[in-house]
Amino acid sequence: MLNYIWLSLIVIGILVAVTIDFRDISTDKFRNGEEIQTELIFDSPTPQLEKGKHYKCNIFIPASEMQKIYGIQLSQNLVQEAEIIVSNSGEAVIKITTDEQSPTIWREHAGAQRKNGDILQGKVRITRMSENGFVAVLILDAVKFVKLNSVTNDGIVRYAKTAVELAIGLIGIMALWLGVMKIAEASGLITKLAGFLKPVTTRLFPDVPPDHPAMGAMIMNISANILGLANAATPLGLKAMEELNKLNKKLGTATDAMCTFLVINTSNVQLIPATVIAIRAAAGSTNPTEILGAVIVATTVSTIVGVTVVKLFARLKIFRKQLEAVSGEL
Amino acid sequence: MQTFINITQTLSVIAIPSIIFFIVTYGIIKKVKIYEVFVEGAKEGFNVGVRIIPYLVAMLVAIGIFRASGAMDFLALIISPITNLIGMPAEALPMAIMRPLSGSGALGVMSETINTHGADSLIGRMVSVMMGSGETTFYVLAIYFGSVSITKTRHAVPAGIIADVAGIITLVWLVNLIFG
Repeated sequence: MLNYIWLSLIVIGILVAVTIDFRDISTDKFRNGEEIQTELIFDSPTPQLEKGKHYKCNIFIPASEMQKIYGIQLSQNLVQEAEIIVSNSGEAVIKITTDEQSPTIWREHAGAQRKNGDILQGKVRITRMSENGFVAVLILDAVKFVKLNSVTNDGIVRYAKTAVELAIGLIGIMALWLGVMKIAEASGLITKLAGFLKPVTTRLFPDVPPDHPAMGAMIMNISANILGLANAATPLGLKAMEELNKLNKKLGTATDAMCTFLVINTSNVQLIPATVIAIRAAAGSTNPTEILGAVIVATTVSTIVGVTVVKLFARLKIFRKQLEAVSGEL
Repeated sequence: MQTFINITQTLSVIAIPSIIFFIVTYGIIKKVKIYEVFVEGAKEGFNVGVRIIPYLVAMLVAIGIFRASGAMDFLALIISPITNLIGMPAEALPMAIMRPLSGSGALGVMSETINTHGADSLIGRMVSVMMGSGETTFYVLAIYFGSVSITKTRHAVPAGIIADVAGIITLVWLVNLIFG
């Protein structure tokens, strides 16, 4: 089933991106290549523009011009900070700094250009001098296939990198816990721990021997999760999976115990969602911890439902078959 | 409530050092050559980290495509009639979709929603509970199964999703009941 979800994420993602991009092209959303009448306003006195030099200025566009080009209603005329770099006589590259006051379409355009966050880049052609600076025509640099571009750069390239960074980042903490667990194993602590919770664990994982190291690792992982110790929980969980895999008759296929363990992990009971409380406090909540009760009840319900469902599913023929067909082969 | 929070917060700070201290001391008592054994176990850390890379790349890239394409809004549009039925405000829906996919994504959605609607609004509380009670299901599935090279996941995924849905229905009902 994971493969269907994987496929859907990719296919739906790409199809939606293509649809949005073709809609934007057909409606010419970003008005690529259109000439916008503007005025560049300088602090007096207006400088003599020299080739290759940078000048700070404000770009002024009347609300009526924005209405004419984009069909949007602005409550006032648009004034934005900008910098121009003069190329030839009367022509310059302009970098407009967009901000919260900028029209949405400009902020989207700036994001799609991928220059530098909120910089919207274009060309200006100066037509004549005015009282405060120059009257000029602005042509913004064209953008096309915005979503597909974003899928490539923000989706594919960035996440492929993130995945490796996450995995590499896990190595250190992973090594630490595997080392500590090895000591616990060698000293017989894991077996002892597994013995304590035998009545519960043998019911949850009937196909794992009660004093198998997998039991100890699973117990430690679940405890770490309940306490919100994410740093310890993942390495302990992976250690548990490794131990469970030693009991696996067909490598590459999940056992019942693995499925149960995974569901307990994803539906985890949690006592202290520390991050959430911190964000709520920072956002000025009068009682950041008031959500705790709901969190505990909701996770308890999802864990109970999850364990029940995973146990029921384990009896279903379609899922049994995958295991039995396997033992037949062996 | 406050003392309970204090206790659990203290516990989460002292837990890891105490566990390590306890295990090492117990090892010494049982005459385990702790340093050698630790290093022996820790050697595996690198292999596990490297082994999960292909699974993590596969999963995160798919999630990345989904997020960057704007498909989130599209999915929200499709399932909003169902979520309206259980009493989930439309503003909380992106959070419900994002939570199992990406931890950092969900954090972003939560902060944004709280900034827009306020931490003490019904929507703000609901996304907070979603953040706290949810888990990045697909990330966990990818690395746990990936670490032991399992590709046939059998009933783990459907059961995990059903558990997530049950959790969401419960929390929406609870938040509406308590804060509504």
